Amino acid sequence: MKQHIVKLREFYVEKKEHHAYRQKGVDPFYLAKEFAKRGLDDVQRAHERLKWVLEQEKPLVFKDEKIALLRTVPTIPEIYTENEWDALKRSYRIHEQGKVSNICPGYATLINKGFDVVKDEIKTSIAQNRATKERAYLDTLLNTLTLLEEFGHRYRVAAVEAGNAVVAESFAQIPQKPPQTLLQALQFFRLLHYGLWASFNYHNTIGRFDQYMYPYYARDMADGTLDEESALELLQEFFITFNKDSDLYPGMQQGDNGQSLMLGGLNSDGSDAFNELSRLCMLASLELKLIDPKINLRVHKKTSMEVLELGSQMTKQGLGFPQYSNDEVVIKALKQWGYAQEDAYNYVVAACWEFIIPEVAMDIVNIDALSFLKAVLDALSALARCNTYAEFSEVVKNKLCQQTSEICANTNGIYMEKAPLMSLMMKGCVEQARDISLGSRYNNYGIHGTGLSSAADSLAAIKKYIFEEQSITKETLIAALKADFVGSETLYHKLRFEGPKMGNDDDYVDEIATELLDWFADSLEGNRNDRGGIFRAGTGSAMFYLWHGSALGASPDGRRRGEEFACNFSPALHTHLKGPISLIKSFSKANLTRVANGGPLTIELDDSMFRNTESTAKVALLVKSYMDLGGMQIQLNGVNREMMLDAQKNPDKYRNLIVRVWGWSGYFVELDKAYQDHIIKRSELDF
Amino acid sequence: MEGLIFDIKEMAVFDGPGIRTTVFLKGCPLRCQWCHNPEGISGDIELMVKSSACLNCGACVRVCPTDTDVARCSACGQCTSVCPLNLRRLVGQYYFPNELANLLLRQKEILAKNGGGVTFSGGEPLMQSTFLLETVALLENLHVAIETSGFASQKVFKKVVDRVNYVMMDIKMVDDVKHTYFCKGSNKIILENLKYLKKGETPFVIRVPLIPSVNDSDENFEATAKLLEGSQNLLKVELLPYQKTAGAKYAMLRRPYKIDFEENKEPYFNLEPFLRRGIEVSIL
Repeated sequence: MKQHIVKLREFYVEKKEHHAYRQKGVDPFYLAKEFAKRGLDDVQRAHERLKWVLEQEKPLVFKDEKIALLRTVPTIPEIYTENEWDALKRSYRIHEQGKVSNICPGYATLINKGFDVVKDEIKTSIAQNRATKERAYLDTLLNTLTLLEEFGHRYRVAAVEAGNAVVAESFAQIPQKPPQTLLQALQFFRLLHYGLWASFNYHNTIGRFDQYMYPYYARDMADGTLDEESALELLQEFFITFNKDSDLYPGMQQGDNGQSLMLGGLNSDGSDAFNELSRLCMLASLELKLIDPKINLRVHKKTSMEVLELGSQMTKQGLGFPQYSNDEVVIKALKQWGYAQEDAYNYVVAACWEFIIPEVAMDIVNIDALSFLKAVLDALSALARCNTYAEFSEVVKNKLCQQTSEICANTNGIYMEKAPLMSLMMKGCVEQARDISLGSRYNNYGIHGTGLSSAADSLAAIKKYIFEEQSITKETLIAALKADFVGSETLYHKLRFEGPKMGNDDDYVDEIATELLDWFADSLEGNRNDRGGIFRAGTGSAMFYLWHGSALGASPDGRRRGEEFACNFSPALHTHLKGPISLIKSFSKANLTRVANGGPLTIELDDSMFRNTESTAKVALLVKSYMDLGGMQIQLNGVNREMMLDAQKNPDKYRNLIVRVWGWSGYFVELDKAYQDHIIKRSELDF
Repeated sequence: MEGLIFDIKEMAVFDGPGIRTTVFLKGCPLRCQWCHNPEGISGDIELMVKSSACLNCGACVRVCPTDTDVARCSACGQCTSVCPLNLRRLVGQYYFPNELANLLLRQKEILAKNGGGVTFSGGEPLMQSTFLLETVALLENLHVAIETSGFASQKVFKKVVDRVNYVMMDIKMVDDVKHTYFCKGSNKIILENLKYLKKGETPFVIRVPLIPSVNDSDENFEATAKLLEGSQNLLKVELLPYQKTAGAKYAMLRRPYKIDFEENKEPYFNLEPFLRRGIEVSIL
């Protein structure tokens, strides 16, 4: 790594010296109160907020950096007062924080055109005999661009004052005009990305960076502006920008900020989209060892082993990414769900692993979560009257369907704050004078599915021990579960450690898991949400693995009351696993194209597996094997259990220890203990 | 005939080429002081206890016919099904060749597609050579490797080596007096078998566990390299530095870990004698 990058990394990431320039926080409702007094509508409020934030900002340019822009304003204020929020919550379904989030904006649309051209387009749209409201909205879009232009101009002035000609030159060109170099394109991106966070949009994903930035890269390489070495250095400086303000971004935990970047992929003509820039992105991340941006890799039959081995090198660094998705499965699934061919081929991931389409999807991919295990436990009251396993499994299916129909019904009436800047990067918003918060080409809702392995293991135990072997009576089981297995140690041992477990290539239980997933998909099929979209079933868990687990009593798989579920699509935490081969076989059997909302098989590999180049390359073979088997998505953690235990005791020694949590990588010592403990338990699933 | 196996490890990344599954056969004729798989030494089923997380709940004591007296433990296994943390297990399970082969063939596609296969290790796999060969005969075209100490009769050694595709063999040290002392067995037969290996066509890897102050001397590196000179089918030499965690499993077997070498000393390396002879060498 170049000295320049080492210094930047040290300044921004290790020492966080830029925090010294941060201003004081303000009452988050300070603006809202004023907005309410002034009687502003929601479009005006969104605009006024961005205006306020940018006005408060103090442009800060350091002498040696090539890509500028730093948040000094820590608080992005709310636009509604607490009372207004309460009223909104009574009338509408508010998802998370009620902001547009977790989608993939088309940065390149604005970057490639430059604001001058976009302004002309907006003016053309205005010229079409618009209703007052539409006219006002389009005016707001124009004003939004002006805000960013003025902000860019102030940065130009600051750059000149700081004697930084590079940054000054960038802002002399952008955002009015399209960038002339990759450097300017990256500065443009930084401005837009900054603007989104300043607009209180969050989980602003990066998308197919290697595709939309490639023309700039190729041009610079062709005319000699860049060579491979300087391009890598530039990318590294750019990647560092994702770590400058990220502690200010909203998320469940530090690190959960949705800055996911997608590389590679299959083009619709069957060719491979992975290019030289994709490779440089992997190299940049490999050297930097930072949690952002989070690298995702689209894999298909043409993906070379060299690329997968580079991915394994990253896993070896303990980055917890790349996360891999299988184009052959995902594209097929998206097409089955009604996504157009060209859109399906253009897929990326949202903040974690949910598949979305850049620029044309206002999908809410994490609107709720089904608890598979709850369906099983809800059915237990009917166990006594069931004479066969088939009868019991029918009850479980009904309970599961009951849950999903409640979930679906509860999605009506979504309201999100208006998002003018985001709308400028989403197709059709300018032409239709319509804010992205109101919907886009795709308005599908994704539902996670948690505790699948615990549910499948529980059903397998019931099927085997109660109905087939008849070695456990229904009454004994129910009583033991009620008592949380206290006084039933032998039964507990049998259920927890000896029963059939998902993850061991045992068809007996894997078929039950397949059935559970099919029911999930069946129960959503044909349903429409009130935005006209469909419901997508998924195998992700997000943080629900703790929440859902803690809400449930003991289960027939020997899970004790309140014990957490596995993360995403993974074996239960107490499973004695045969090994990675059986594991990937187990988790590739289901009809995954029907439950493709997103949710990876999550594997913790002991870091001893990465001891040398040869063994690290074998991890790449494992990834490839999972894809060959028809797996959908996989993420691997290279972990060292002893190190994590020591990090809990001596956090200062392990500031840089990175782990994959549920769909993102974070610094181990910055996580809440419950999440740390979960990863430690996962690492004990020794093979 | 049945074979006794103490572990089957999937994706054993250091046991030969590609993605492999390693089968560990139980029982070994040697008694190397530093053995890190002590559960592979005895040819009987044994009880293994992970006591570090023990809650002292007493469940095992209540069912034990010998009041948990280690000396009288017959590995009856009654305690294994009552431990709430599953800390007690029996090591060693008998398999018929077809049972084991069927289990391995379930993974055939993944193993074969990735330049891998099955590795038989131990213990000493050659101690159960009949079972081993019967199983290998059922593995269709899967690539088969063995990890051996080379301590077996020449007849058995030849039979197995001629049948498998890849051999990983230890040459622990050349000095026989030391070898006899530290491994409780002479290396004469091992070195004889090495001669056969060098003459044959089966590709092989030589492994040297580096035990501080036992065999990490210039003299031993030189002698080992010299032994290996001029063999066409030698792929490489791998040096395996002694791992201090080796002792942990002895406690689980409730056996003392008795060594008379300095385990805290870093092993010394000298690759030069190998490199000088054009032998590829690496430290694992």
